[in-house]
Amino acid sequence: MDGKTVDGDIILDVRDLVIKFNLRGQTLTAIRGASLAVERGETIAIVGESGSGKSVFTKSFIGMLDKNGWIDSGSIWFEGADLTRYKTEKEWLGVRGKKISMVFQDPMTSLNPLKAIGKQIAEVYELHHGMDKKQASEAAISMLERVGIPNAGERHRQYPHEFSGGMRQRVVIAIAMACTPQILICDEPTTALDVTIQAQILDLIRSLQAEYGFTTIYITHDLGVVANVADRVAVMYAGKIIECGKAEEIFYDPRHPYTWALLSSLPQLGIKGKPLFSISGTPPNLFNEITGDAFAPRNPYALKVDFVYEPPIFYVSPTHWAASWLLDPRAPKVEPPEIIQQLQDSWKVQNAWLQNGAEQP
Amino acid sequence: MSDIPNPSGGLLKKPLPEAIDPGLFEFAEFDQNAGERIGYSNYSYWHSTFQVFRKNKVAVVAFWILALLLAFTFLQPLLPGQNSATKINIDPATGVQMRNRPPDAQFWFGTNSIGQDLWARIWSGTRTSLLIGLIVGIIEMVVGIIYGALWGYVRKLDRLCTEIYNVLNNIPTTIILLLMAYILRPGFRTMIIAMCATGWLGLARFVRNQIVIIRDREYNLASRCLGTSTGRIITHNLLPYLVSVIMLQTALSIPSTIGWEVFLTYIGLGLPVSTPSLGNLVNEGRLIMMSPELRYQLIFPTIVLSIITISFYLLGNAFADASDPRNHV
Amino acid sequence: MTKYILKRLGQSLVTLFIVVSVVFLLMRLLPVEGYFGDGYDKLTPEQRTAALQRMGLLDPWYVQLGRFYFNMLKGDLGTSIIYRRDVPVVEIIAPRIPYSFYFGVAATVLALIVGLSLGIAMARKKGRAADKVGTGYIVLINAVPSAVYLLFIQLYLTSLFSLPLLFDRYQFRSWILPTISLSLGGTAGYAMWIRRYMVDELNKDYIKLAMSKGLSEKKIMVRHVMRNAFVPMAQYLPAAILSTISGSIYIESLYSIPGMGGLLVDVIQRQDNPMVQALVLIFSSVGIIGLFLGDILMAIFDPRIKLVKGEGAR
Repeated sequence: MDGKTVDGDIILDVRDLVIKFNLRGQTLTAIRGASLAVERGETIAIVGESGSGKSVFTKSFIGMLDKNGWIDSGSIWFEGADLTRYKTEKEWLGVRGKKISMVFQDPMTSLNPLKAIGKQIAEVYELHHGMDKKQASEAAISMLERVGIPNAGERHRQYPHEFSGGMRQRVVIAIAMACTPQILICDEPTTALDVTIQAQILDLIRSLQAEYGFTTIYITHDLGVVANVADRVAVMYAGKIIECGKAEEIFYDPRHPYTWALLSSLPQLGIKGKPLFSISGTPPNLFNEITGDAFAPRNPYALKVDFVYEPPIFYVSPTHWAASWLLDPRAPKVEPPEIIQQLQDSWKVQNAWLQNGAEQP
Repeated sequence: MSDIPNPSGGLLKKPLPEAIDPGLFEFAEFDQNAGERIGYSNYSYWHSTFQVFRKNKVAVVAFWILALLLAFTFLQPLLPGQNSATKINIDPATGVQMRNRPPDAQFWFGTNSIGQDLWARIWSGTRTSLLIGLIVGIIEMVVGIIYGALWGYVRKLDRLCTEIYNVLNNIPTTIILLLMAYILRPGFRTMIIAMCATGWLGLARFVRNQIVIIRDREYNLASRCLGTSTGRIITHNLLPYLVSVIMLQTALSIPSTIGWEVFLTYIGLGLPVSTPSLGNLVNEGRLIMMSPELRYQLIFPTIVLSIITISFYLLGNAFADASDPRNHV
Repeated sequence: MTKYILKRLGQSLVTLFIVVSVVFLLMRLLPVEGYFGDGYDKLTPEQRTAALQRMGLLDPWYVQLGRFYFNMLKGDLGTSIIYRRDVPVVEIIAPRIPYSFYFGVAATVLALIVGLSLGIAMARKKGRAADKVGTGYIVLINAVPSAVYLLFIQLYLTSLFSLPLLFDRYQFRSWILPTISLSLGGTAGYAMWIRRYMVDELNKDYIKLAMSKGLSEKKIMVRHVMRNAFVPMAQYLPAAILSTISGSIYIESLYSIPGMGGLLVDVIQRQDNPMVQALVLIFSSVGIIGLFLGDILMAIFDPRIKLVKGEGAR
């Protein structure tokens, strides 16, 4: 089970989720027993490479797995019900949009090109809040204003192709907000946008969260986004969450070799004069059954036991755990790579300032 | 799930063996290449295409029916005891032509109004119609691909090719066929020319659209940067992508050709009566269809024709579906 | 929007002009016997040449073309030579127009209603009974030549439903079967296309967003998928009209309907050149008008088109 913080209130509790897909006659295990406990009101980021299973993981929360996929075992607890038991569309309609909303990656294709954006937002109001056309339209206009679309009174009649990428993403966020959900899942919301727009969108989501008080789950491979928004971070690899903790803990005291590798790959952390780091090898073939730690073949710090038994969860602190045999008392002591040590040093320096009551530069 | 307390203060998720060999807690040898090997994917495009096709039972049945029918069509003259398709059979006893005889032991499909063996005529006619269909299909494919490729790839030609396409496309095919057959006088060659006149338009348009979409894709730009000639880019980078559609068009052109042949024959612009073809046979049958006992002369050619056209249509569509990578899941 | 319509109108007129001219010039290749009827063999070569000269057929092509347009604008499309000797073509064709027009429109409307309903039902119940039945129908109509199945319909359905075999203006029941027959091809086409477009829409990203909003599958189908699928359908309309024209030629002949299609068959068999020429021109024009209408409809339904200047293949 994922660690609970001492005073946290869990809004979404995922336990040992296993999701499989039927692909070309074979079975692919995309999620191999992932667990995550999301606290109410927090912002948690799920990071990992492409293909690690992040999207599949969150899609299962709203019952939008592809038709050839199914939840094999595990549970998703939300508001006292296990969502994995939902089989009918009716059950999911009570959750989708209303309680859990999603913002997708590509704003260019997320909107219906032949419908005015105002109508696409109003639709949600009519559906979930039972408003009539006029009320819904007004609500849509005010939501558009809230997400920062200028001239909402006129622009709500326009079509998606008349908006830029960043604007479109705001519209998508408006749609997601219209439902006043409890949880907002953002699947790579800024990947398709310019860097300058990225910051605006993240700020927008942050301010909406402060105003409406929902919980945000970010899916991203961009650690910069994580540093910007996340309270907690969960690192995913090959369909499992392998490390989870507060953002500072993950950035400045990572324990799993994969997290080390992930952070080391950031070009910003590169050490001058030395070649940039990249993780050798490729993620494992999930058609096959995996023995031991999935990251072992690519892990220069792997122990022999990593190839035999799957590492259990070890707690570094009450809020920080990692599934790595290196944390077992029987394992040899290992220093994290140079890059990580530099990161830790700079953190200690910053920390010292804080501890001394001085202001950060 | 047993909760075994862990000296570091947490919980273990799964029950592990009582004791783990301490030797396992040594570092393993790090093989850089091992990481590369595990990411292997065994996807093969044609293999998947074949698999999807095989799963489509209707298509497989159609394939076998068609294969057997085609084999028979071309082997039929070699079988013993077959009559000529054009010889007028005369009853040795009375010296009278054996006209309009319903199917019997001697003539399996009966005879037509001037005493010719319908069985032989049907198979001969099928061969003729198939031949026309095949020739037309190939010509359309060649012309269509070349025209479409040039249209799409060579920007300078785009305007001109588009105008030509528009003009030809705006006229109903029926009219063009009628006109050409009318002007060039009916005949085997005319029929082929007439049907090729506009049949290639569809394929050309599709090829052109695909090329326009793909020509500016990065891998083609890279090829151009490296100095690859236009011709080679078209044949190596672009065409393999289009194989499935080309197959579909060609497969569908055969039923379409047979259909037009029947139509033209009805109008009076078809093949001469001396050359049996499915179109001729259907029309001959049509002329006497009002008398029920002679209806077999219409029904037999129609059945053969329908089997062929339906099978080709099903196969063409099934293949197009199977070769679409999106269906390879 | 008006600018777009005018632009397309201009383009259509240019295309029409090119098509008409091309057809006209092609007709110059027609065998000259068509201008003489039975009397051809009886004339000496000199008399034939003189006759052709009189008819203006030996003039340079551009003169003939110019004369043709000039006459056309006056409403004169030539005179029939064989079919009805010396009767102006326009006079022969005019009374036939209402019949062709009626059947064409009725069949198109019927095909639209039945075809779209069928296609939508097939898309919504994809893979199930309705889809399979519909697919079977489409396969039959598309694979088997219309010349064949229309024949069988006339043969068997007339006796089955005791409908008259041939068309008679005053007998209502005789109007039914030709209309239905003419609509069959269009029905298959519309059903197939709308099903395909709907299925394509279902795979698009914005449907995922709609789903995540909490819309039921039914609502998504109706409000997003169907509505979006109708747009490219407008593009298919001209093709449908063209195929209706093609079909009408055959059906009018089968049922002896006094329309333009049946007339075309007759004059081809009789080799009456001016008649063939005039009818071909009329049919081509209808086709072009259909394409023009299709483009305009597309522009009405798809807000993206107004802003795109694209010069595309139509």
